Amino acid sequence: MNIKDYIESGIIESHVLGLTTAEEAAEVEAMAKEHTEIKQAILDFEILLENQTNKDLIQPDASVKTNLNNILFAANSSEKNITSSQVNAASVHHINLSRYIAAAAIILLIISSGLNFYFYSAFKNSTDKYQALLTERNTLQANNAAYKTKLDEINQSLGMMEDPHMVKIQMNGVKGKEENIATVYWDTRTKEVYVLSNKMDKLPEGKQYQLWAIVDGKPVDAGMIGFDCAGLCKMKVINHAEAFAVTLEKQGGSPTPTLSDMVVIGKVS
Amino acid sequence: MQELKYNEAELVGMLKQRTQSAFNYLYDNYSASLYTVILSILQDKELANDTLQEVFIKIWRQIEQYNPDKGRLFTWMVNISRNASIDILRSKDYHSQKQNRELTENVYNAASTVNIETDKIGLRKIISNLKDDQKILIELAYFQGYTQDEISKFLNMPLGTVKTRLRNALIQLRGLLKR
Repeated sequence: MNIKDYIESGIIESHVLGLTTAEEAAEVEAMAKEHTEIKQAILDFEILLENQTNKDLIQPDASVKTNLNNILFAANSSEKNITSSQVNAASVHHINLSRYIAAAAIILLIISSGLNFYFYSAFKNSTDKYQALLTERNTLQANNAAYKTKLDEINQSLGMMEDPHMVKIQMNGVKGKEENIATVYWDTRTKEVYVLSNKMDKLPEGKQYQLWAIVDGKPVDAGMIGFDCAGLCKMKVINHAEAFAVTLEKQGGSPTPTLSDMVVIGKVS
Repeated sequence: MQELKYNEAELVGMLKQRTQSAFNYLYDNYSASLYTVILSILQDKELANDTLQEVFIKIWRQIEQYNPDKGRLFTWMVNISRNASIDILRSKDYHSQKQNRELTENVYNAASTVNIETDKIGLRKIISNLKDDQKILIELAYFQGYTQDEISKFLNMPLGTVKTRLRNALIQLRGLLKR
């Protein structure tokens, strides 16, 4: 095959357009090396194609150039050659802008993290305070209930004191304990005995007041006066008595009164 | 076409220096040409923009592989563009992507991809002057990227016939380009 026929075979065009197989391409390249006419034919067709391509150009999106500059030069934007007039000022500006945005994003992230920590702390603090308040409220509620019970007892006591069926026996302090006063309220119908500690000395450690009914000259145990009794303390039922007395006894009481430790006494009128 | 400041040899030298200014010169003077080539194959502006970006990254990274003895820089870059476009065309998700986009376009009538008359640009404009059977061969070989072997099976035509007809079509094409 002579050179002219080879050039006219269409292989040159196939090669330039990238339509040849690898073997064909190698062949064309080898032929072009050997024959300047073939090399020239290739160049001619390349230029024909190039001119045709450049006849009706469509511009790509401006973002492609910006993206490429970011991708290829982001880590290297301090490059000295940027001074060239070819460098699009807008794209450099865009790189800087991207960096500012990145920096701003990082700063915002840090601030946000800080705020997260702050708000978490505040939240934790509030939760702790809320728990404390809850406990306090429960305590107050319990106290309130206790006071209410006491108040009810006192009201009940007051009611009993005003009851016309109640016999009131005031017990005054014995010699040496004159400042002590207590009162027995004795229900004439049920024979129930209640005692009110109007004014009694503070109990020494391990001691408790015990009420006695004097029946036919003998002391009969009428019960221990409770530590937590607010108003009238309910004692034992006593059917008959000439007098009532309170002695200071060991906690839980004694079978017989310690007469030397008598505090108050009052006769039934 | 505008007068270029640097010839191809000078430009290749500059690109091998890997300066941003060289890159921007390359882009400013060749992006529209390569974009037009890509668009003529993909016929979708959004895809073509993405592909152009990919192509410039390839050119930038593979410039050392360019051998001026084998052809012009322009031809080398066009072939990279064509290969990248055909890769996109052949990619598995291209068809589903295109379908999705067409659905979206029906709803929003996105201006960016509507009415690209690729038949009126570049090589397609010339090819539209060829006979239909030649047009089909160039369409399949150049724009769709099928090998002659594949075309032979596809058109149920002997490989030798495909080769001869395609070459004849290309000779016709050269004639049209010369006019």
